[in-house]
Parts: sequence; C-alpha cells; structure tokens
Amino acid sequence: MSEILKILREYRGDFIIGIVVTLKMTILIWCIGITLGILLGILSSRFPKIVGVPTKILTFLFGGIPVLVFLYWLHYPAQTLMGIQMDGFITTVFTLASLNTFLVAEQVRNSVDSFPKEYILSAEVCGLTPIQIIKQIQIPIIIRQILPSVLLIQVVMMHSTLFGSLISVDEIFRIASRVNSEVYKPVEVYSTLALFFLAISLPITGLAYILKRKYSFIK
Amino acid sequence: MITGKNISKKYEKVYVLQGVNIDIEPGQITVLIGPSGSGKTTLLKSLSLIENPSSGSISFDGDTFIFPKVKEKVRRQFSFSGTQTVGVVFQNLDLIPHWTNRQNILKPLGEKISTEDLSELNTLYEMFNMEAFIDKLPHQCSKGEQQRVAFIRAVMLKPKYLFLDEITSALDPELIATLFKYLISLKKRGTGILIITHFLLFAQNVADRIVFLKNGRIHEEGDKQIMSVPKTKELEIFLNSIKGIIIK
Repeated sequence: MSEILKILREYRGDFIIGIVVTLKMTILIWCIGITLGILLGILSSRFPKIVGVPTKILTFLFGGIPVLVFLYWLHYPAQTLMGIQMDGFITTVFTLASLNTFLVAEQVRNSVDSFPKEYILSAEVCGLTPIQIIKQIQIPIIIRQILPSVLLIQVVMMHSTLFGSLISVDEIFRIASRVNSEVYKPVEVYSTLALFFLAISLPITGLAYILKRKYSFIK
Repeated sequence: MITGKNISKKYEKVYVLQGVNIDIEPGQITVLIGPSGSGKTTLLKSLSLIENPSSGSISFDGDTFIFPKVKEKVRRQFSFSGTQTVGVVFQNLDLIPHWTNRQNILKPLGEKISTEDLSELNTLYEMFNMEAFIDKLPHQCSKGEQQRVAFIRAVMLKPKYLFLDEITSALDPELIATLFKYLISLKKRGTGILIITHFLLFAQNVADRIVFLKNGRIHEEGDKQIMSVPKTKELEIFLNSIKGIIIK
C-alpha cells in the first residue's frame, strides 16, 4: 500500500493528466453517444424503413468488427484515404461515440417499439392528451426500462477508452504503462489502475442492477 | 343514448361480431353475458370506439360514426373537461405502473381538483376500504385492490356512460355489495352503465336489461326475467351449464 502511495505521489502530475484525458474522453463519448443514440433510436422507431433498417445494418457492422480494428481503421487507412490527419484523442472519441450511439439507439428503438400499448390506451380512456401521454407515461417508462442497460453500455465505453493508448492518446493506461516502464512495479501500478476503474465502474454497475430490480415490475 | 347498429367486427378473416344492434341508455344498467369468446369485450371496445368496428354505425347522443367510412381513431368521447362521455374499466385494469394508486386516480383529473371532488374521493376511499393501499404502486397491490383503483379512476371522471369489463372478478362479497350499491346510485344519477360479467347472480341483481351474446350475435335480450325463463335454446343451454346460481 505504501508503495502504491509512493508511486502515486512521485508521478502525481502524470497520473492527473492521464485521469483528466480518460475522463474527458469518457464524458464526451457518453454525452454524444447518449444524445445521438436517443435521437436515432426514436427516429428508427418512427421511420422504420428510412432510418430503422440502415441503423440496424450499421449496428450489425459495428457489432461485428472488434473495437480496436475499427479504431485503427479510422485512425490510419480512413484518414489516409480522406487526406486528413486527426488527433488520436478525436479518433478515439469519434469511434467510441459512434459505437455508443448505435448501441444506445438499439436499446431506445427496442423499448419504443415494444412499449405496452395497453398503457397508452388506458391513458387515452382517462382523457389524457397525446402530449401528456408522451411526457407523463411513455418517456418515464422508457427511461426506466432502458436506463440499466444504457448504464452498463457506458461502463463498457469507459473501459474501451483504454484502446486510445494504442494510437498514442495519453490516457490513464498509457500513463500507467509509462510509469511502470520507469519503476517496474507492475503489481502496484496496474492495481492502482484497476482501483481507478473500479471506483468509477462499480457505482454505475451497482446502480444499473438496483434500477433493473427496482423497475422490473414494468411490463 | 349510445346506439350501435349492425355492428360487425372481424380480425383477419374471422368475424367476432356479426350484425349486433344494441342501445345503452342513460340511467340504465345493461349487462352483457355469454360464454368466453362470444365477443363481449369486442362489443364493449366497439361501442366505446376503442377499436373501430369493421362495419355498422355507432352514435353517441346523436353524433354518428359510420364504418368502415371512419378510418381514424376516435378519442373525443374520452376527453375530460369536468365530465367525460364514456369511461371504461378494462379487464386487465392497466393502471399506470410508475404512478401510485392515488396518482392513477388524481392525474387524469388535472391540476385543479374541486373540493367537492376531493370530498367525493375521500368518501369513495372509505367506502371501498382503500386507505391501506392508496399510496402504494399498482404492482404492490392485489388484483382486487387494483380493480377498485381502476373503478374509482373511471368514476371520478364523471362519465355519462360507464363500461365495466369483469369488474367483480377479484372482489370479495362485501365489496361486491358495496359496488352494487354504488352502481345503483350512479344509475340514479343518470349514468348509463354497461357491464360484462361472468358472475350471473350479480348480473341478475344489478341489471335493468340483460343481453346474451354467443358467437358474436345477440341471441336474446330483455329484463332480468330472461335469466329465469329463457326464450332461446342458446341461453337455456348457457344457463344450464352454470346451474344453481340463478334466482328463480
């Protein structure tokens, strides 16, 4: 333990940079993915042929390609083909935010499509207007239904930011590896790294399971 | 008055209702009886325009909808502005799952609830023994408790016509008696009530008019006498199959 604290003290500046970069990427991936995913999910459900089918195909494609391959492809061949050069940070955010968008969209579309019609009918019979039904019944129920799985996707997205290290992004894993190459204390260094991820992931995963149990009564 | 003329309803190629003519009059309790699958719930849904019939016409106090000419969903009969034209309690109840029972009753009434309504509500809570579960979520309650919430929710919207599908199925005898008294009081206030029930003793006691439906057709209708002296073979067979629960 004292060894871990010693390393953390000694390389505090580097670790802070790594944590900040990882958190920046994570927050961007979450915000972009969730916002666009919700929009795309609603549009996919509303326009199944024009938006739904292409989204499904792209989701299959994304699901079939390992994240690392996709990241490398976007960072090297795609940029060469387009004649542009982007920072590894942007490529990582773009790749993971795209993946997050499609995964969240799929959750939203499923939930909207399978929304129990009887609740809508029940509300209509009680005289609620279409706007009231969307605001007071559909949105709250859909949020409760998708929240656990969307939270779990966000944990995976945060973990996937580690791939950024392979295209030279100075995120926490790359910093940890660099520190380890200097001090050669892999147990201490990577345990610290694991603790960092656990500290963020565990509350989110725990919350996802609690919400899943709490809202299991919704059809 | 709600008038259904020559109502037919088919799902794919199967006719569930065939040429049904029925009136629901204000201040009268009409009970629909018949074996399972006879089309009772489909008739209730067609008469309330929850589902448009395939053909025929439905009139609400002179407002006539002719099918299949009317294609769109008709929902103005449910809009609430102090009163409602038609109120419905479904067999599945379908209370909003993330609202407490109290919210299920109050939210459809809107932001401003009159003192009279609040006092009426408190009377109903007491009458139907609802204090113990009124602030629970529907899934935390028994079917009988949910039935009472769904019933009070519909009643508080003051519908001119009230349609009830299997409202007694999970109520104990004491509550059925309370419900019976309350339905009679609603009838006296001019509400036209349509009840679907398999509980024939209840039907016989509460009904002003009984309609017997089988295979999507009305085979017999009349006052409660038809339960003790049926005129058609179909009703006789139906009543014989559940012998012993009709008051002769």
